[in-house]
Amino acid sequence: MSDPTALPLWAAILISAFLLIGSGLTLLGAIGLLKFGSFYRRLHAPTLGTTFGAGGILIASIIFSLFSQTRPFLHELLISVFVTVTTPVTLMLLSRAALFRDRTEKNEDVPPFRG
Amino acid sequence: MIESAILIPLVTIPFVVSLIALALPSNARNTEAWIAGITALGLFILTAMQYPAVDDGGAIRHNIEWVPQLGLNMTFRMDGFAWLFTMLITGIGFLVVIYARYYMSPEDPVPRFYAFLLAFMGSMLGVVNSGNLIQLVVFWELTSVFSFLLIGYWYHNAAARDGARMALTITALGGLCLLAGILLIGQVVGSYDLDTVLASGSMIRGHKLYVPILVLVLIGAFTKSAQFPFHVWLPNAMSAPTPVSAYLHSATMVKAGVFLMTRLWPVLAGTPEWFTIVGLAGMATLLLGAFFAIFQQDIKGLLAYSTISHLGLITLLLSLGSPLGLVAAIFHMANHATFKASLFMAAGIIDHEAGTRDMRKLGGLFSLMPVTATLAMVASAAMAGVPLLNGFLSKEMFFAEAIEHHADSILDTAAPYVAVLASAFAVTYSIRFIHGVFFGKIPADMPKHPHEPPFFMRLPAMLLVLICLVVGILPGQTIGGYLNSAAMAVLGPEMPEYSLSIWHGFNVPLLMSVLALVAGILLYGILKTYLATSEEGPPYFRELKGQRIFERVMVSVSWRWARLLESWLGTRRLQPQLRLLAFIALVAAVLAATRRGVPHPTLSLGNMDLLFTGLWAIGIICAIGAAYQAKYHRLYALILMGGAGLVTCISFIWLSAPDLALTQLVVEVVTTVLILLGLRWLPKRIEQNYDGVSLETRLRRGRDMLLAVGCGAGTAFLAYVVMVRQPPQTIADFFVENAYELGGGRNIVNVILVDFRGFDTFGEITVLGIVALTVFSLLRRFRPAPDNIDSPEQQLLQSRHTARSDESEEAETASIADEYLYMPSVIMQWLFPVIIVFAFYLFLRGHDAPGGGFVAGIAMAAAFILQYMAAGTRWVEERLRVLPVRWMGMGLLVAAATGLGAWVFGYPFLTSHAQYIELTLIGKVPAATALIFDFGIFSLVMGATVLMLIAIAHQSIRKLRAAKLPTAQENA
Repeated sequence: MSDPTALPLWAAILISAFLLIGSGLTLLGAIGLLKFGSFYRRLHAPTLGTTFGAGGILIASIIFSLFSQTRPFLHELLISVFVTVTTPVTLMLLSRAALFRDRTEKNEDVPPFRG
Repeated sequence: MIESAILIPLVTIPFVVSLIALALPSNARNTEAWIAGITALGLFILTAMQYPAVDDGGAIRHNIEWVPQLGLNMTFRMDGFAWLFTMLITGIGFLVVIYARYYMSPEDPVPRFYAFLLAFMGSMLGVVNSGNLIQLVVFWELTSVFSFLLIGYWYHNAAARDGARMALTITALGGLCLLAGILLIGQVVGSYDLDTVLASGSMIRGHKLYVPILVLVLIGAFTKSAQFPFHVWLPNAMSAPTPVSAYLHSATMVKAGVFLMTRLWPVLAGTPEWFTIVGLAGMATLLLGAFFAIFQQDIKGLLAYSTISHLGLITLLLSLGSPLGLVAAIFHMANHATFKASLFMAAGIIDHEAGTRDMRKLGGLFSLMPVTATLAMVASAAMAGVPLLNGFLSKEMFFAEAIEHHADSILDTAAPYVAVLASAFAVTYSIRFIHGVFFGKIPADMPKHPHEPPFFMRLPAMLLVLICLVVGILPGQTIGGYLNSAAMAVLGPEMPEYSLSIWHGFNVPLLMSVLALVAGILLYGILKTYLATSEEGPPYFRELKGQRIFERVMVSVSWRWARLLESWLGTRRLQPQLRLLAFIALVAAVLAATRRGVPHPTLSLGNMDLLFTGLWAIGIICAIGAAYQAKYHRLYALILMGGAGLVTCISFIWLSAPDLALTQLVVEVVTTVLILLGLRWLPKRIEQNYDGVSLETRLRRGRDMLLAVGCGAGTAFLAYVVMVRQPPQTIADFFVENAYELGGGRNIVNVILVDFRGFDTFGEITVLGIVALTVFSLLRRFRPAPDNIDSPEQQLLQSRHTARSDESEEAETASIADEYLYMPSVIMQWLFPVIIVFAFYLFLRGHDAPGGGFVAGIAMAAAFILQYMAAGTRWVEERLRVLPVRWMGMGLLVAAATGLGAWVFGYPFLTSHAQYIELTLIGKVPAATALIFDFGIFSLVMGATVLMLIAIAHQSIRKLRAAKLPTAQENA
């Protein structure tokens, strides 16, 4: 990997900004996970990290690789595809399981079983 | 010498052909007989051609160095004595094979029979042609094992099973004693080489270990040769098929004992101890065997006791310590082999034709099968020692030796009387056999109407009887030279003068022969009426059943004593075992540390990396939390363990070990999922209230806590000491420098795994395979705790829900997974090919970049796990045949074949060859043979992981039975 100090200043600022945005959003999501009240609310918080958070960091990585020209930015594209495909699976599994459980326990907050 | 290499095929070919025989279909009776017969005959001719080399005391030696530093070599050695035995083993083996072809019924699974017979022949050839004593013992034990398998050939028969087990127990135990004796000899002489040992006879006889050596070796020989009091196994081994008896109890198995005594005769014989022990055993065996033989009703029982008696005769001859006695012993070994084999064959023919071996039910067969009767009569005349037959000659030599004065002891004085008495008994049982079976009235209750057997069934016995006759009439011209070179091989320069002629004039031995003959005939006349109706076994002694005593002893040793020891020393509970283990380890470590001293590393906090420390703090908290929660909250514990694993993984990346990190990550994921699947089957634990805990329990917990903390702190301390010490010159540099040149890969870890340390890896994947199979077989009949039998509440809810939706119109939504988890499961199913590509990618890049067969295999297994999770066991297995066991087998075979492939090119096992192949589109692809080996690893790892997954997955769809919980009494 080439020397990061060789980057032009504006590119370095751009990369840093995207990195900060990405990690900041992820941090925000983590705080949300801790703070929100109900399970369904909590589910939303970490998505911030897996979507925009990851996106920011990936964009930063793409810009870096464009400037350093060590490799094409195919990796980042693949990562974004995989993250987009796989993260919803986890969250869907969690939310559907919670919904099923709430329904069987006849909790007031969720809509009852159909039929 | 090139010619000496001939001994290798001589011993190995029977084993190879045995494997071939085993592979043939079970009805290939003729093919089996042909290949076994050709093998035996070929070896016979091969051996015969070697005679010029062993004539006049010469010997063929072939040495293959194995571990020369330890004096362990494969040495094959054939001298005149071994040559004689090899001829007997192969020759009689050939005849037995022909005979067995007609004896064995078409329903018998003959491949097993011929395979065992050939393997037994190979073991015997190994015993007689070994030039190294350890090697001899190995083959010796092999004969015990194969004789066990042969005796127990009809394993549906309880008598065969018992007889086989008894033979194995006694002879293998004797073999162990023999091994101990041989090791002592090795200690005394400093070599296991037969020639060296034979040359140091006086050294051994003068050594203070002589008596232990003698006793141990003799126990080995006595058990094998059925000497009193170890003879009990031989009559019970008669439940074997008759060809087996004909082989084992004439030329081979039982002769191994006397062979060994003769082999070591120059070393061990000639002392008062030898004379007393061997002479006493021989005399007792000779007399008792002959006496018991008279009263047997089973023909094979009679022959068995007669065999015992003749072995006693040989032993007695060997005990005398005189060269002439030795010549007589060798002569009698050969003679007994010929006439006893033919007698067993005749007994088998009678059994085959008449349907019984009970002499009370037989009679008058001479008129029905005259040829067989004549053969049997000549052979038993040889057994009785009638002139003009070979048995007469060696018996005459025996008498001559018995009257000689050897040592001042009561044994020596008694010898002539015992000899005459035993010979008289031999005459009696021989006449009894002939008269009882072939003459007299034909009993009405004979099960079958007998007639002459097929010609080829008689032929082997006929040839043997012919040899008896020819040797008996023309001893000097026929066996003389061979006997001479056999005896010379043992005696060397001490070779005595002896004469093999039939007529020595009127002398004392002749008088004794006549006396024995007349006394035997008279005795039969007296006993005739009693024997016609008597029970099996000699009077009075028949109450004393050898087998009964043996069984009693076996039960005491293997059952009662074992139980007693277990109740003293054992516990079924895991906790005390683990506690003891940890405690001993701790004590040992502390002792070692205080004895040898440990460096005191200084703890410097100066160059601490805050981030890394923080990371490890998280890891440590996770680990401690996991341990803390492990008892009551297993899910928490599992999650926390995952956290600790992730920290390890990040540490690897931090310390620039991407390969380890990758592997760690994938392993972490898969193990977590597998444990998660298994959680449901662990017994439930309900958190208890801790207020009313007794003092005893508190103390116990405190002690366990102390032990745990002590072990943990000790391990941490040790790890720290190792990490901060100045590393010595390690091998790491070598790997870094040579990975590319020697291994053809840039990924050093992978090159180490598949090339430098390929053999270790091979062992490890084997272990992994064994673990997977064990998990599978343990879970196959897994009985969960009673409170886990019912489906968990969630599963019940799901099935209730499913049942409800079945009643409604949406009947096609068969399961809750379909309704609630449709989207995720579709995505998970789609990911299957993606993960396969990923695994393939990891595998291919492994040799140069992070990746490799192991991690690829686990990634591939993860793909399967995902399928099982997404759609359920039934759905997956309806659509996909995984066959993990075949993957595992293929993996092991591929890895082994790659390793063996190096041999083809003359390199050591697992040498790899590296090169690059140009592929269109893809470019240069590394193609080291290590890649094939790596594929083996991949295949095995994937198969093993998937097998464990399947084992767990199937728990939820099989019918379960609860385990029987240990009662409070058993727990105590």
